[in-house]
Amino acid sequence: MPLSSPIHPGQVVWTGENPGILLKEDPDGPFSAIALFFRIYLSPKGRGTVLLLLDSPEERRTFPDGCNVLLHDNKELAEYLLETFILKLPAFAALPACESLSLIPMDECRSQGDPRSRYSEIVKSTSLEIELVWDGLGKPTALELPAELTGGKENELYTLLIESTNPSIHINGQRLSGSPVERVQAGIKTTTAFLYFSETWIRPA
Amino acid sequence: MTDVETRIAVNPGRVEWAGDNPGIYLRESPDGPWTGLGIFFRVLFSAHGQGSAMIILGDPAKAQGFPDARNLCITTNIEMTRFLVQDFVSRFPSFRSQPALDAITWLEAESHRSDGDMNTSWTETMTASGCEARMHWAELGEPFAVEVTPKDCATGIHDMYSVFLEARTASISVNGESLSGRVCERVFFGREMSTAFLAVSETWVLPATTQI
Repeated sequence: MPLSSPIHPGQVVWTGENPGILLKEDPDGPFSAIALFFRIYLSPKGRGTVLLLLDSPEERRTFPDGCNVLLHDNKELAEYLLETFILKLPAFAALPACESLSLIPMDECRSQGDPRSRYSEIVKSTSLEIELVWDGLGKPTALELPAELTGGKENELYTLLIESTNPSIHINGQRLSGSPVERVQAGIKTTTAFLYFSETWIRPA
Repeated sequence: MTDVETRIAVNPGRVEWAGDNPGIYLRESPDGPWTGLGIFFRVLFSAHGQGSAMIILGDPAKAQGFPDARNLCITTNIEMTRFLVQDFVSRFPSFRSQPALDAITWLEAESHRSDGDMNTSWTETMTASGCEARMHWAELGEPFAVEVTPKDCATGIHDMYSVFLEARTASISVNGESLSGRVCERVFFGREMSTAFLAVSETWVLPATTQI
């Protein structure tokens, strides 16, 4: 803050919500479970809701043997986010699970709770009921990140970060093992579980 | 925080609220007074919780509430909405001098619905007992991001991030009756833009230097 003019000269790529949970069983080991949720208001592929869920990120296990899935209510949007956003993040591009993702339509999605304390997203498909829970929520922080401080290092980002110290991922009532770990974003010590609201990605002019 | 060279990644201020905040401001003539004002809030985060609210001043010059005048607020969270009216709407230039603002009738929402696609048109509809209010935006333009400091902010005291889409046409109705007036042109951060807009993914921050 601030720009030389209030109107950003770049092009809005997409805007919406993008909370996530990344868990480890061993703090020094790889991630044991990952959930990345998208509620998109505006994008080149329209509106929609998408959930990347990996219950075995280090394995190429196709659904239903493993639950490495991309749930969506807009297939074009899901494919677009996978190609232009998720796989541009080095930590995701290298995961074997991302090579064997099953795309599954979702029947229902709703949020509940309060982002001041405990918040959740509930996603249902024919055979899956998934609950993502962010508990132990902290104070919100507004971020405005230049491209070099983002995972993809391609686009600028406005977002509202609310960290969670006690998240969980549940698949059909079963809680996945693992805990969040510490990470640093833009110099802030935070965790690998977060709500991101009012998130806007902008392609620099 | 005071010049472009000091652009920093983490805003040190206090986040007041985040969500969507589209509006429609109508006039009968380009130089005349506002004849219909509508603003909608979908709040994902605030110190007063989440919620949706629609504030309509259908008779801005009248210090009367609904149904004597079309001045009303339908909300899913009254505490949150009182905070938004007091700290935000009452500071917005188009609203702050309107006699109707202090006289609005507060109605508890029975339903709320969003329809459309931000590529073409968008509609927000809220209902309460005896009242249905609707705001409709059409002929939407390309989205653009804004980032303002207190100097340029509608409240005069906040930092604000948002994505705007101009609407070339728009309407506000109460119980099926459209408010008079039409969308006009205004200068918005140096750009000609209509007085109807979608504003999504907003975050309002009170700078650390302004906090009491």
